[in-house]
Amino acid sequence: MFIDDFLWRAVFGAGLLAAACGPIGCFVLWRRLAYVGESVAHMGLLGAALGLLIGVNALLGTAALAIVAALVMARASDRMIPAGTYVGIVGHMGLALGFVVLAMLETVRADLLGYLFGDVLALTAGDLYAVAGVSLGVLAATVLLWRPLLKAAAGGPIAAAEGQYGSLVQTAFLVLVALLVAFGLKVVGALLIVALLIIPPAAARPFAKTPEGMAGLAALLGALAAPVGLGIAYAADAPAGPCIVLAAGAIFALSAIVSRLRGELMKAV
Amino acid sequence: MTDPLITAKQLTVDAGSLRILDGVSLAIHPREIVTLIGPNGSGKTTLLKALLGLVCAKGEIVRRAGLKIGYVPQQFTPDFSLPITVRRFLSLFAGREAGDAALARVAVSDLSERQLSALSGGELARVLLARAIAGKPDLLVLDEPLAGVDISGEAALYRLIAEIRDELGCGVLLVSHDLHVVIGQADKVVCLNHHVCCEGDAHDVVRDPAFLELFGARGELALYPHHHDHTHTISGEPVHVHR
Repeated sequence: MFIDDFLWRAVFGAGLLAAACGPIGCFVLWRRLAYVGESVAHMGLLGAALGLLIGVNALLGTAALAIVAALVMARASDRMIPAGTYVGIVGHMGLALGFVVLAMLETVRADLLGYLFGDVLALTAGDLYAVAGVSLGVLAATVLLWRPLLKAAAGGPIAAAEGQYGSLVQTAFLVLVALLVAFGLKVVGALLIVALLIIPPAAARPFAKTPEGMAGLAALLGALAAPVGLGIAYAADAPAGPCIVLAAGAIFALSAIVSRLRGELMKAV
Repeated sequence: MTDPLITAKQLTVDAGSLRILDGVSLAIHPREIVTLIGPNGSGKTTLLKALLGLVCAKGEIVRRAGLKIGYVPQQFTPDFSLPITVRRFLSLFAGREAGDAALARVAVSDLSERQLSALSGGELARVLLARAIAGKPDLLVLDEPLAGVDISGEAALYRLIAEIRDELGCGVLLVSHDLHVVIGQADKVVCLNHHVCCEGDAHDVVRDPAFLELFGARGELALYPHHHDHTHTISGEPVHVHR
């Protein structure tokens, strides 16, 4: 069974997670919230460390702290300091503190790099079920919440002013981002997870005419980056998580080149 | 007079040590065009945002139950990363048919299939007005809605806003710098400088000492009666009126 093979577990886990990151990542891109995802991921590391420290599951600690961090940081508004800077300060404090706590836990010292850059080849069958369940759940929630989410992204202050966009949708969106970031920690790590949120949508953008088209293509390109990256990692005996992100980057570069060539061609015709 | 659509009593907004709004009271009734004027930094946009619930204010805001608002913000830049046509953008808020009808009403149907982020400033201003009226609001809130619209289009658009008010029976709250154009269409002018300096019928307000002190010589400009021998359609074509 494929589930018995660590490589297949990695392909399915990373592929599903990256596919779920595509559509939610589109909203991260449209609303320019990449910095929130970044800091939530950094706080996720602290969550994992605290989870291990108090003896509960690291993944639960990560998810809990990531969700709290997302909700708190999205409400950050201070007139003196831009929200992005404020969120960055909190996120980096989380990363630094998380690293310190992890380093002090003698038993998990070997896993430090895994938390920063992912350890997808070490996914157990249980991990795979958790990652797959969360990914499919986030995809389903994205479809269900599509219209209000799109209204908020397209209308911004307009939707808020007209009362068409409740804070409930904003909260749901942040929880979805936090869930992907938390479960993505295992796959590509705290330092690289935001790449899966922003690169596939950016690669999809030049070829999309509708929001739905962009989200669908982003999901496909994300899902493609996983097996390609893992193939490279396997062939070159390189770290898996970073190779998946490099594959996504290569897809983005290819997309940019193709859309440029297409533009030149249209001009010539 | 009918019950007001929205009433604000003694609104106060502070930003740090700066008091942006100081005890501002205001009411907008159905079919009434209220124009908010005041110098830069006088708190016009903040007052609008407080009424819309976008900034926190001390005081009391009462909305008529089920009040439907159409809002055109002062600044709105569609993100280039979002691929969406003008038509789809409107249909998100009001449905396809109402969206198409609103685009036609503002005479920008030809922009339907264009990407929202590719519009010019003037085109975007018109599309945003169409979006705001598509949902048939009870109250239109327009914050300098004509930024980017050329001078010849401005007067036509202000007339259009007055016509839309007649068609929808909605109230209109408008912030504008274009004193001479605005005062011609407004039922009521509120002159704001952190507090309400003066308010009332447009032609009375421009004679008010508080208004003249704020706007000085520009007050004279506002008083200057405009007599044109022709008008313009929204697209800028002259329409000759024989008197």
